[in-house]
Amino acid sequence: MTAVTERQQLAYIANQAADMRVNVELETEGMTLNIGPQHPATHGTLRIIVKLDGEQVVAADPVPGYMHRGYEKLAEVRTYPQVTTLVNRIDWLGSFANEVPFILAAERLMEVEAPPRAQWIRTILFELSRIGNIALFLGDMAVQLGAVTPVFYAFRDREYVLNQIEAITGGRFHPNFDRIGGLKDDIPKGWVAETKGVLTKMRAFCDELDELLVGNEIFTARTRGVGVIPPEVGLSYGLSGANLRASGIDWDHRRDSPCGLVYDKLDWKVWTHPDGDSFARYWVRLQETREAILMLEQLLDGIPSGPIMAKVPRIIKVPAGEAYVATENPLGEMGYYVVSKGDLVPFRVKIRSASFNNISIVPWVLRGVYVPDVITILASLYFILGDIDR
Amino acid sequence: MSLVPGVIKGLAVTLGEARKTVFPDGLRKPPAPSKGAVTVQYPRQKEDPTPRARGVIALHEENCTACMLCARECPDWCIYIEAHKYLAPPRREGGKPRQRNELDRFDIDFSLCMFCGICVEVCPFEALFWSPEFEYSEPRIADLLHDKGRLADWMTTVPDFEPYEAGAEVKVKKIPR
Repeated sequence: MTAVTERQQLAYIANQAADMRVNVELETEGMTLNIGPQHPATHGTLRIIVKLDGEQVVAADPVPGYMHRGYEKLAEVRTYPQVTTLVNRIDWLGSFANEVPFILAAERLMEVEAPPRAQWIRTILFELSRIGNIALFLGDMAVQLGAVTPVFYAFRDREYVLNQIEAITGGRFHPNFDRIGGLKDDIPKGWVAETKGVLTKMRAFCDELDELLVGNEIFTARTRGVGVIPPEVGLSYGLSGANLRASGIDWDHRRDSPCGLVYDKLDWKVWTHPDGDSFARYWVRLQETREAILMLEQLLDGIPSGPIMAKVPRIIKVPAGEAYVATENPLGEMGYYVVSKGDLVPFRVKIRSASFNNISIVPWVLRGVYVPDVITILASLYFILGDIDR
Repeated sequence: MSLVPGVIKGLAVTLGEARKTVFPDGLRKPPAPSKGAVTVQYPRQKEDPTPRARGVIALHEENCTACMLCARECPDWCIYIEAHKYLAPPRREGGKPRQRNELDRFDIDFSLCMFCGICVEVCPFEALFWSPEFEYSEPRIADLLHDKGRLADWMTTVPDFEPYEAGAEVKVKKIPR
């Protein structure tokens, strides 16, 4: 028989308490607490109904839908070029990454392929939006723990990335730059050199956060062993992205199904962490940002010359058929299931956004934790409200 | 575990950042926080937007033929065009008079506009351009409907297209002035 540690015992008691809905030590009355819909710790308008027993969470129930904008329905009355401007607004922090899977799905139906230069620039912008997105998480996580400084560094350094995205696409948040068969425009002169300068700044930012937070005793105490998601539970709830990789599952769409993007031509690795706790999720995302910087350096050096647009008719009619394309967005797997009936508009678009599946684990992972840890775990799961409600 | 506690290391990072902001030229020089700060004191100082920035749409009226492509492709249909036909005098003597479209109304409702740039992209006659100008907020929402005179005024703020990076095969377009 294996020895049971004190922590395992405590976790067992907590689980039992959650199941029986009574506290084993104190006969206390339950209390229902609404976190949100408007609350600084909920990243937008997500409401979480938490049933408390003393300081312990007995049941948690996320209520999404306060920001539902009906993009799946709206896409049915918009032509294919118009849909990209809508899907920009799903995950507004890494918005270029939202367009790519939709465009790839339409390209697969039309059987066109973007020229190599367009694919490289697409991948560059994809990774830039990943850095811009995750940089904010890296600072925001500290805010949820009560440390205010890192988020200012995050906002400051993310701005450099957004400036680079704006210089090439014209929009800081809503690029609308991807087109069926290629890209809207080419890179302006001097952009590659400027971006290399930004990458140096972002690397310094990662090192700064490494010293500021990862080694910090308070941060470690608040995140280590908190909100542990075992790999099989993560898989069964349909987690994806860094949340799954932090549970030790080596799975990444960029490596496993690199359709339409040039990740297979780069030298990089997928980071995983065996622990599955809040700290692991933070650490994996920090390493991913560094890996994205490494990837961007290779990408910026090797942009092939050539056209940026394949031959595509001016009025785009997608032939009848169905296609599902998923890519590894900053938040996880994001996919579009496009059904076309050979019309100007898609017949049906199903959006599989990462955050919606990522918060489905909230009732499981919040059971038995203490109230301050609720905020930590929610922050470390990293969802964006537009991505949940779309 | 390292010998120095992580809390002290973090404080050192914060102090280093503060030093870089307050003393951007080094500790021996006088402090210059306005130089070291990355923020801009907006109404007095202004950042230069990039030439590609999508601020406001400008209309070059002579090129517009009222073909309605922009109004049709707009995702939220915020462009309103009305035009009438008239007979223009012939180009050469003895030729036939030409039928032309003249704009009566070309309005863009910027309170609805999503700044996607599809209208600028689909215009086949190069009549619409992006200007990086952004200071046109209004106290009344109805004033955000820019008529063709106001849209034509924005043409003076449209910057030239930038040259492309090496390896590009796209040609740099010119802006009609």
